[in-house]
Amino acid sequence: MAVIEVKNLSKSFKVKLKEKGLKGSLKSIIKPKYKTIKAVRNVSFSVEKGEIIAFIGPNGAGKSTTIKMMTSILYPDKGSIKVMGLDPSRDRKALSYEIGTVFGQKEQLWTHLTPYDNFKFFGAIYDIPEKAIEKKIDELRELFELDSFINTPVRNLSLGQRIRCEIVASLIHEPKVLFLDEPTIGLDPVVKENIRTLIKRMNKEYKTTIFLTSHDVGDIEKLCKRVIIINNGTVVMDDTMENLKYHYLNKKIVEAKMKEMVNLEDEEGITILKDKGYNLKIEVDTTKKSVSDALKLLNPDNIIDINISNVPLEDIISDIYKNRD
Amino acid sequence: MKKYLFIFKSEIMTNLQYVFNIFVGFIGYFVMLFILFNLWEYLYSDPNELINGYSMTSMMWYVVITEILYSVVGGRTLCKKISNDVKSGNVAYNINKPYSYIGYSVSSHFGNMFIKFIMYVILGLGFGLIFIKKLPNLSLVGIIFVLVSSFLGLLISTLLILSIGLFSFYIEDSGPFYWVYSKLILVMGTLFPIEYFPTIVQKILVYTPVYVVNYGPAKLFVDFDIHKGIGIILAQIIYVIIAYLICNHIYRKGVRRINVNGG
Repeated sequence: MAVIEVKNLSKSFKVKLKEKGLKGSLKSIIKPKYKTIKAVRNVSFSVEKGEIIAFIGPNGAGKSTTIKMMTSILYPDKGSIKVMGLDPSRDRKALSYEIGTVFGQKEQLWTHLTPYDNFKFFGAIYDIPEKAIEKKIDELRELFELDSFINTPVRNLSLGQRIRCEIVASLIHEPKVLFLDEPTIGLDPVVKENIRTLIKRMNKEYKTTIFLTSHDVGDIEKLCKRVIIINNGTVVMDDTMENLKYHYLNKKIVEAKMKEMVNLEDEEGITILKDKGYNLKIEVDTTKKSVSDALKLLNPDNIIDINISNVPLEDIISDIYKNRD
Repeated sequence: MKKYLFIFKSEIMTNLQYVFNIFVGFIGYFVMLFILFNLWEYLYSDPNELINGYSMTSMMWYVVITEILYSVVGGRTLCKKISNDVKSGNVAYNINKPYSYIGYSVSSHFGNMFIKFIMYVILGLGFGLIFIKKLPNLSLVGIIFVLVSSFLGLLISTLLILSIGLFSFYIEDSGPFYWVYSKLILVMGTLFPIEYFPTIVQKILVYTPVYVVNYGPAKLFVDFDIHKGIGIILAQIIYVIIAYLICNHIYRKGVRRINVNGG
């Protein structure tokens, strides 16, 4: 059963225009002008139970607007959304019990209270009985390894510790769907990795469906099996991570250490990325030339060492962004 | 209801860390009382004389109480907070929680006022006792009425200021509206009781928030009578309903206009 079902979703914003200078400011008071920005245009997709899905796109692509419509913060202009069978704009309260949200750039914890008091607070607003809250806090405390700072006021925590607490706070009421909007923003690589492991563990343990937006390719690559790319308000790609990586651009990177120098210039389907005499790095477009043909050109007897890898996901994604602009 | 009590409790816990700030606020309160006490002493040539039905001591106690209520509400901070919440889009992040935003803001503001109220009452009454010496005659029923009426007065103030703050959904800055509101409340009903105004103005004032916000509780404190008490509390209950409906209407209409870009 689909946990999230979005059909033909659209949303526009009216933005006030102001000409430059004092004259422009005065003019905008007397005769204000507005511009309509189409933030989301005809977006449709669905998400199954237990999936971890990456919802990505460049800045201003419409990701956050879509998430905000799914979490009942914004009202759509057109189209329909069903999250756990509920309509976010009509069943706001009922939906709030089913979903959890973490906005990496917005704090939802009370900064002067300890994480423990915060968790108790979130338990209370979701009408969870006292005993059940305690049990849940104990369970999550262990899963997210919070023991060393659970009684330290949130304002004194490091960013990584705070994000962990933000995630726990959004899990207290056992949501079926968790919306994570850039959860690893501003974190160092070690803490990022730690958060990713915890998200994975949580997904496995509670079968929580996770809807993730991030600019960090590592988050997407390590957590998600499916990726939806949005640009200029429309879905430009909705595919599995495997397909995205292996078939979308059909390109392989071949790095080879040679006994003798080889000249591959003007070869169709081959782009030389680096050529340092005996060390060569090329990109093979497999729609034009197979990897085995490329290896034949290098001459296998001539190769000392070789490494064949996929194009980094980061490059693939930025290529998709650029091509669809 | 339990969740709102929890919001109230969490706000008290937060505020306990800032008790010192409340003490700083007392300085302004004491200066104001000191000026007003001198003013009334100057105006009343004979302490037993009655001006508009108030003796000198009852006039002094009147301002002790109204100034407590006026200071405890901290309207400017509340209005600014709500206005900023609306303008920055912060209000949006409260929408997807299972509570009403108005309920949340009111309970959170009551948590904010709770410690302040206790401290102002103790210090205000202490200050009054030192300078005025004699407390007005107040029975236990009277005290209960004053407390209930103070609670309702604070609730009405909170809801009205919230409504003004929520006006930021429609205009760039609701600050000037709050300025007008606060000055009206300060002059009418806080510094001077309704009886000090011309009869025609008095007739209008009894239907305005001036009557129920600060005047009501202070009037009951200095000159309690059960009929007046019931009248004031009934008027306050009607005002709570009206203020809530206004606030709710502004919020419901406004929330559809939310524009949260980026982030």
